[in-house]
Amino acid sequence: MNGEQGMQTNGNEVIIETHDLKKLYQMGSETIHALAGVDMQIRRNEYIAIMGPSGSGKSTLMNLIGCLDTPTEGEYVLNGTPVQGLDDDELARIRNREIGFVFQTFNLLPRASALHNVELPLIYAGVSSKVRQEKAKAALARVDLADRTHHKPSELSGGQRQRVAIARALVNDPSIVLADEPTGNLDSKTSEEIMSVFDELHSEGQTIIMVTHEHDIVGHAERVVTLRDGLIESHDARADGLL
Amino acid sequence: MYVFEGIWIALQQVWAHKLKSAFTLIGVIIGITFLIAVITVVEGMNRYVQEDFAGSLFGINTFTVVRRSQISTGSETEERRRRQARNPNLTLHDVEVISAAVPEAWRLAYNSDRGFDEVSYKERRRRNVRLIGGSDGYEALQGWDVEIGRGLTPLDQRRGLKVVVIGSEIADRLFPDVDPLGKQIRIGAHRFNVVGVWESQGGMFGVIRDASILMPFSVYRQTFARNPSEVDEISVKMRSMEEMEAAQIAVEGAMRTDRELRPGEENDFWIQTSSELLDTWDKIVKVLFAAIPGLVSISLVVGGIVIMNIMLLSVAGRIREIGIRKAVGARRRDILIQFLAESSTLSFIGAAIGILFGIGIGKGVEAFTPMPASVPMWGIALALALGILVGVGSGLYPAYRAAKQDPIVALRSE
Repeated sequence: MNGEQGMQTNGNEVIIETHDLKKLYQMGSETIHALAGVDMQIRRNEYIAIMGPSGSGKSTLMNLIGCLDTPTEGEYVLNGTPVQGLDDDELARIRNREIGFVFQTFNLLPRASALHNVELPLIYAGVSSKVRQEKAKAALARVDLADRTHHKPSELSGGQRQRVAIARALVNDPSIVLADEPTGNLDSKTSEEIMSVFDELHSEGQTIIMVTHEHDIVGHAERVVTLRDGLIESHDARADGLL
Repeated sequence: MYVFEGIWIALQQVWAHKLKSAFTLIGVIIGITFLIAVITVVEGMNRYVQEDFAGSLFGINTFTVVRRSQISTGSETEERRRRQARNPNLTLHDVEVISAAVPEAWRLAYNSDRGFDEVSYKERRRRNVRLIGGSDGYEALQGWDVEIGRGLTPLDQRRGLKVVVIGSEIADRLFPDVDPLGKQIRIGAHRFNVVGVWESQGGMFGVIRDASILMPFSVYRQTFARNPSEVDEISVKMRSMEEMEAAQIAVEGAMRTDRELRPGEENDFWIQTSSELLDTWDKIVKVLFAAIPGLVSISLVVGGIVIMNIMLLSVAGRIREIGIRKAVGARRRDILIQFLAESSTLSFIGAAIGILFGIGIGKGVEAFTPMPASVPMWGIALALALGILVGVGSGLYPAYRAAKQDPIVALRSE
């Protein structure tokens, strides 16, 4: 049920392109098609939401886009680099440089300060200590947490923790921010705060891909990709309430 | 960078869980403590023996002719002892033979002695005293000086006067608050006049002088000797090592001739020098130093296994953290290095603590016994190196487990 290409929302270059992307698992004698052949294009500064019921393959797609996993078949080109054949170390490098993850459960290091958490990608990028600190502080300032740099996650509210996670995702200037149900663990007021942070990032030029199943969240995106049974069901521009 | 990450995390962990860390590190601490303590004590003894003891016991450039060897170390000497049991006693005749062989000797003296006598003054007594009957010049050859009174004189020797010079320990025991000079002490049924007290030798082997009593040889011979012409030791002192070695050869030749020994026959006497003692001591040290690695290794292996288990637990409880790190770009080797750094830091801390304890024990030994103890730098370096080695070795498997975590699976855990 592959849909046609949806309307282009801007004329920027394509930074993510997939061709017949598949992810298959062997369960005994059966083959599970977590992803059965996905074609998509994402341009710079697009704000995409990926939706679908449980088992639709949206998590699998996100893991593949985020280079946490490699496809069984098909191609995935990120910023001109084919990713499907890369080894673990190369994938790690891409995750470090090109991808900024934001998770539902925040996934911060519990015993480290906010600053150290945000620094983490820079440590693995080999950046010097002085520059790291500057960049991390700048990233925290960008999400309005300049005054919480030395707090540990346990000393921060849910919304603040997620903002630390967003700062971490941004600190290495990634090509895409990949958010997986970022407001799933937050109350509605805090959710709105976090969504406006994403809106702001988008207006500053960031490319955002967000996996979600909540309709109010979807409303912030420009385009919605819906998955079902491992395939794309539709690639529509934001449907303003039709979905 | 990941090394510092690992070190920093390890330090935080140790500080946050001091008791648990203490238990984790017990094996390493014990092993290193033992290593340092033994090295310290043996090094100290080694230095003492080479610098002080050998010199004071046997004198420099001195050799002593005795009936048979008194130092034994190992099986080859066991056999030798059996053969030497049949050696004839030395006599005054041998003294003449030796005198004639080395007329250029700087000093020559002979003596007989026995241990385990009891000496008393009024109601005070001291057991296990060594009685020495020394010829004229015995003190000079030994290098003994008096603290009060005088040594023996040629007159004492010629006249066979019943005078003695006593060691400092005996003086302290028999005459704690009076002047010993001029007093009469009893040995068995005999009385002797105290004319002098030796300077205290002290140290580990001070008993040799401090618990001895010296009397003229003729007096000893008359009073205590089993056989009147018997002599226990004949000592020769030269002015240099080369002269001593030459003299030794001359004496050996003269005695063999006098005793009509055939060319292939073994000596039926023994020549003792300080170098024999040093060789023996060297052998002892070698054995000690050979045994230590075995014992220390066992302790360190056990300690390493404990650390490995703690690290495995630590990794198991931090799977999500590993997933996070990998998600933001940590490669396998980054995770590997981080956890290796953690286990190495742990082990290093254990070694450092062990070094401190070991030094403490060494100092304790030094304070409470006459043995000296000094910590050699190489011992500390070795201990620290071992600490790191154990840390790396024990951390390899846990670090490998951590590094191969799949980030997707890891992020889902907990």
